[in-house]
Amino acid sequence: MKILEVQALTKYFGGVAALKDVSFDIPEKQICGFIGPNGAGKTTLFSLITGAVRPSGGQIHFHGKDVTGMNAASLVKKGVARTHQVVRPFKAMTVLENVQLAVHYGRRAVTRTSIAREHAMEALKMVGLEHKANVLASAISLGDQKRLEVARALAANPELLLLDEICGGLTGAETRAMMNLIQRVREGGTTIMYVEHDMKAIMSVCDRITVLNFGRKLAEGKPEDIQNDPSVIEAYLGKTTFGDDKRG
Amino acid sequence: MVGWLKTILPWLLLAVLLLLPKTNPSDNLIRLLFITAVWTTTSLGWNLLGGMAGQVSFGFAVFFGLGAYTTALLMHAGHSPYFGFIGGAAIAMLASFLIGLPTFRLRGPYFVIATIGVTEAVRVIMNNLDVTGGSSGYRITEDQPFSQNEHYYSAIVAVALAVLVSTVIANSKFGLALRAIKQDEDAAADLGVNPYTSKLWVHAIAAGLTGIAGGIYARRAAFFYPGDVFAFQTGISILLMPVIGGIGTVWGPVLGGVIYGMVEEEISVKFPNLHLLIYGSLLIAIILLEPDGLLGLLRRVFRLFPSQQAKTKLAGNPG
Ligand SMILES: Nc1ncnc2c1ncn2[C@@H]1O[C@H](COP(=O)(O)OP(=O)(O)OP(=O)(O)O)[C@@H](O)[C@H]1O
Ligand SMILES: [Mg+2]
Repeated sequence: MKILEVQALTKYFGGVAALKDVSFDIPEKQICGFIGPNGAGKTTLFSLITGAVRPSGGQIHFHGKDVTGMNAASLVKKGVARTHQVVRPFKAMTVLENVQLAVHYGRRAVTRTSIAREHAMEALKMVGLEHKANVLASAISLGDQKRLEVARALAANPELLLLDEICGGLTGAETRAMMNLIQRVREGGTTIMYVEHDMKAIMSVCDRITVLNFGRKLAEGKPEDIQNDPSVIEAYLGKTTFGDDKRG
Repeated sequence: MVGWLKTILPWLLLAVLLLLPKTNPSDNLIRLLFITAVWTTTSLGWNLLGGMAGQVSFGFAVFFGLGAYTTALLMHAGHSPYFGFIGGAAIAMLASFLIGLPTFRLRGPYFVIATIGVTEAVRVIMNNLDVTGGSSGYRITEDQPFSQNEHYYSAIVAVALAVLVSTVIANSKFGLALRAIKQDEDAAADLGVNPYTSKLWVHAIAAGLTGIAGGIYARRAAFFYPGDVFAFQTGISILLMPVIGGIGTVWGPVLGGVIYGMVEEEISVKFPNLHLLIYGSLLIAIILLEPDGLLGLLRRVFRLFPSQQAKTKLAGNPG
């Protein structure tokens, strides 16, 4: 079963096409990776699917229903939640309150504060942030703020979870722990769309991968096929090496 | 100990205020407390929208004035003053939707600009509206004799209601959503909060409280005119109180309202224009020293009521 169908999705910022005619389906309970060079349109794609940004063209269907242009809050209630690549914690609120908000206003829509706090603590435990529950979100490290992004999105209890570069600033061991978490969340029945520049991490966890380049879909397939696709190597994997060479 | 004191103190204060008329206090004290309670109610109302949700409005005079005129007209039509206060709240809430519906959707300073424009427009309309006497004002005539204590009790009940509503909201999921909207409304929306409807509702609740205060004020004043209740200056005062006292909390706006009531009724009567100096100095002190207002300053000085921030900071430092 497909949980999400994206057809000819297009977004212009001024005259620049951040995303152009991108189409794909996301099957239920899969982990789908999205890769591509900086500025390829990955974050824009996530913002369109979660309703943060309105598309210039194309359609988005969630569970077969047209949700194109629907606002972010309604999509969260339907079961679509995201993390932000550039973290956006509510800094004047505690870590727990940040997550509690998502429990209150997410798909479960819990009203009782005591129950919401319990659910929020569970989400914090999943990302290993429970010991910081009562600290202000402004007082934790960037790595912890990344974990907070994940805890908040999980606390919204989504059916479709969009993770945008959640491993930035994490150590190797921490990244592996995060991959374990992603697997567990999927086993719990959640479909995941995942953007990450760390190739090892993303190849290890994804069932399929879509490659974006200059706002267009370049390739799509199993991780091992993508790794061996010449156009991908040239556009993405190769470019980083060239870039590194130039800098060195 | 301190936590226990914090729960009991407001009730103690309410009991003292309700029993006060039994002790034969001076008329002047009751009048002073009446006006302070009226202003504090508006201060608490403004704080819900401006302090908790971060939506600055210069236009609360509109709700105050609509509360005054609605109460007066309903009383004139033979209804009880209490029905009048509720009617005033309802009309003020309606007006809040008219202002909020088109402006809360837009990004940027449209809402705050609209609140300035609407105040001026409403005042001009009311100045020229014959049914309400236009600029020469409106007089309320009551059959029953003037009762100082009845006015006083209405004002105390109103301010108690405002404290109750503020406390309930501050401790609810709605309050949490408002704080999130104040900090980053897009991030709040990404967690399921609808910033647009949340702002509309908190604006309406704030307007309702302000409308009640306007009605209670008008009934005691018995005579009022658009240049008084709908004055831009009234809207500024309603904003000033929570800012001076400490926005975003429940007791900051109360403190601001009490200071404003005292200064207006005691000092500005004896020393005209001195009040402007007082507000000016207080504002500068607050902007420079303590954005959390006088309550924040008091907390720092006495550490009597540790703030949520201080508590959570302590909790976060295991060492
Ligand atoms: N709000 C915006 N206004 C204008 N241009 C934007 C906006 N957001 C993104 N863009 C542009 O759209 C293009 C795609 O950006 P996007 O952030 O989606 O890329 P990305 O694949 O997520 O990149 P990265 O890997 O660096 O995160 C870029 O050229 C970017 O400059
Ligand atoms: Mg990005």
